[in-house]
Amino acid sequence: MDRTQPIVEMRNISKTFGSTKALRGVDFTVMHGEVHALLGRNGAGKSTLVSTMSGLVASDTGTIRISRTEVAANGQPYAARIRDDIAHVQQTPQLFNLLTVAENLFLENPLVRRKFGIVSHRRMMSEAQALLDKWNIDIRAEALAGELSAGTRQLLEIMKALSRGVPVIILDEPTAALSNAEKRMLFEQVKALKALGISFIYISHHLDEVFEVADTVTILRDGQVVKEREDVGNLNVELIADLMMGEKTARSVRVDHTQADAPVLLQARGIGLYPVSAEGVDFEIRPGEIVALAGPVGGGKEALAMMLAGQLTPYKGKVSGAGGTLPTIGLVPTDRHASGYVGILGVRENVAIGGLDVLSGRFGFIDLDKEAAHVGNLARQTNVIASSLEQAVSQLSGGNQQKVVFARALCQNPQVIVALSPTRGVDVGAKEQLYALLRDLASKGLGVIVVSDEEDEISQLANRVVIVFEGRITGELRGDYTMKDLILRMEGVA
Amino acid sequence: MSSAMTGQAKAGTPAGRSRLSAFGSAFVAGGYTMYPVLALLVLVGAVVAPNFATGINLINILEQVSVLGLTTIGLTFVVLIGRLDLSLEGIVGFAPMLAAVCLVPATAGGFGIELPSWMGLVVALGTAGLIGYFNGFMVVRVGLNPFISTLGLLVLLRGGVLIVSNGRSIYSPGPALTYLGSAKLLGLPVSVLVFAFVAVAIGLVFKYHRYGRALYAIGGNEDAARAAGINVDRVIWSAFVYAGLLAGLAGVLMTGRLDSAVTTQGQGIIFSAFAAAVIGGVSLGGGRGTMVGLVSGVLLIGVINNLLTLAQVPSFYVQASTGAVIIVAAVLTTVASRRSSGVRTRT
Ligand SMILES: Nc1ncnc2c1ncn2[C@@H]1O[C@H](COP(=O)(O)OP(=O)(O)OP(=O)(O)O)[C@@H](O)[C@H]1O
Ligand SMILES: [Mg+2]
Repeated sequence: MDRTQPIVEMRNISKTFGSTKALRGVDFTVMHGEVHALLGRNGAGKSTLVSTMSGLVASDTGTIRISRTEVAANGQPYAARIRDDIAHVQQTPQLFNLLTVAENLFLENPLVRRKFGIVSHRRMMSEAQALLDKWNIDIRAEALAGELSAGTRQLLEIMKALSRGVPVIILDEPTAALSNAEKRMLFEQVKALKALGISFIYISHHLDEVFEVADTVTILRDGQVVKEREDVGNLNVELIADLMMGEKTARSVRVDHTQADAPVLLQARGIGLYPVSAEGVDFEIRPGEIVALAGPVGGGKEALAMMLAGQLTPYKGKVSGAGGTLPTIGLVPTDRHASGYVGILGVRENVAIGGLDVLSGRFGFIDLDKEAAHVGNLARQTNVIASSLEQAVSQLSGGNQQKVVFARALCQNPQVIVALSPTRGVDVGAKEQLYALLRDLASKGLGVIVVSDEEDEISQLANRVVIVFEGRITGELRGDYTMKDLILRMEGVA
Repeated sequence: MSSAMTGQAKAGTPAGRSRLSAFGSAFVAGGYTMYPVLALLVLVGAVVAPNFATGINLINILEQVSVLGLTTIGLTFVVLIGRLDLSLEGIVGFAPMLAAVCLVPATAGGFGIELPSWMGLVVALGTAGLIGYFNGFMVVRVGLNPFISTLGLLVLLRGGVLIVSNGRSIYSPGPALTYLGSAKLLGLPVSVLVFAFVAVAIGLVFKYHRYGRALYAIGGNEDAARAAGINVDRVIWSAFVYAGLLAGLAGVLMTGRLDSAVTTQGQGIIFSAFAAAVIGGVSLGGGRGTMVGLVSGVLLIGVINNLLTLAQVPSFYVQASTGAVIIVAAVLTTVASRRSSGVRTRT
């Protein structure tokens, strides 16, 4: 096949969901051995476009050619015809929790299939182990997928796609749940496969990654292409952000509203983060303070946050509030798909369940006017883009689902908000808006605890950074720390 | 930042079509799907069976479905949170039987303690509530799968009925216990009024009360409900208690209508309750279903049974045809909801 011809060629792709025009006549091409970044704000249509490419969603119009297969789309399914040419790692996790790692990796894979559809168990185990070794991942092939961390699960899905031997691979926000070390592994594999002539479509809201792996950039806005096949060398982060958002987005800096002499809002005394941790952890937060918990995955920062939020019981020690009563706490959990939103319910109901106390009157009945006003206000503040407040959250774009979870955490006007990876999957513009919202709430006396792996996010928000490692607090930065301090501290323990 | 919540709302398909499809989804989501079918059935019934569309017969239908209706409402509490409770059928039989043997003299098959008649209600509902509490305990604290724990309890209660009654039905258990199921008020059977009142009250709770919101949230995604600050364990536990109480009330109505606690009372009712719920659009996976829909399912089953009886279909066939109709109705509901919402997990 002619290597100078595109391997993927899509012409005039449109897709309408109910009253939402997700794509409006999009053209998209991918060359052999190219890493093509597809960018755009939340709800721009990125996931929809790659889904029409893999056939997960059938395009309403246009033509799609992948390798030698050509499809004229008319809204009817065509996934079966292109299945052997393309692999798609979706934004929403698709692993089977009750199957083992090996079974997940080799589901429907001809490599392990024998006559009469019998699966060779031995072959599957050895292949799976080989794959895990190649990626240098330290898990057993017999482990159940449901027991693994979000990052490992994401890596498994990527490995599965990459090992299928197809010429085109879609990665839809593959790094959202990955740690820095896991990201490195991914990039290495992508580069190795690219050298073999495999093509990638790469979606991410971490624009720095684009410059690390991508060759070409296409930007979508409101279902249309605003920048087609631009060489990554001609772009920079600011330019991309402006093209994505359609307006200037300024990077904000942290502001300190800590009320240093006010009584402590929430404190932990000698709490054990692990079942057998030797020493307890002390922590406190005051009104107006924004504290970041940082450190390697599994080092205990998530456990500390969940214990502070009252979702986990400490193995020892005690969490308490000012004067003994616990403050009201809003939680943004790490994994929005697992414990963030209720997919079958609408935006309104999802946000409202976070604040049933403030929305219901005597006898516990919901005040519908108040609900509509309060939820509408929160949805606006967090910039949720949906066709209406009644739209099922499972139908929203990934970033907008995250904003719904964020809005839910704010619904009961909490005194403390505990947010784990709060802007995962959120676009650069909306991120700034959420940061501004948190600062504004802090200026009114809210205490904010953020768990994050992103240096940028931490340095833009946190007045104090607490490094948690191996179940202990191993360091702290306050006040005027620099980005360099932060990176040194965060990598110092990793 | 531009146009949150408005940007894409109006773009797109011709307004007429999308308004129609919006109406369609609201119709299905509200639980109205089966009402046209119900209306059609009533019309057909009125034409083919002259005795059908009479006031007496229609009230008769309502009276007959009130027991099933209360049981189905109870079942819906636990189905909304993605659980189930088979023991409700056992409660319908056991709770009033235990009350009856506490009331009647030993010569009539009682325990011989001859409690005052009003205590019958207390015993029946108290027993029902306690059984529900036990179910909640098994599911929440012990962590059993409700299918297996309530199945066990169902069998146990069936045996329990025979033990406390010595295998004999109890006749005329006392006026206070039978009042709800036998008396008339304003020309309507009290049982119908009870069903209507419970349906309206709990319908409002499902839709507008924080407890209802919690039920739907837990059924949709239990972990998300927990992270949102809902006391998930307490809601699950209490849902089993409410389910038990409603099944107990249903049993009391049934005993009242027959003026006796029969040893086979309630047998098979859990199947009809599941059918009514599913026909009414209550999702067995949890998180979806409305009182409006549930009532349509109950009425549909009532009307079909009544029509088949009026048409003098031999009773063997009544049961078989009810089953067939259940399947047809379930297909209709499923197709309608898929057409209207087409909800699929997105990427
Ligand atoms: N199944 C669906 N039903 C209704 N609307 C949908 C559905 N899938 C997508 N949409 C809408 O299509 C638009 C584009 O969504 P898409 O998921 O492609 O955005 P995205 O660019 O991937 O955003 P993000 O960065 O947040 O992931 C959104 O407005 C979304 O609400
Ligand atoms: Mg997306």
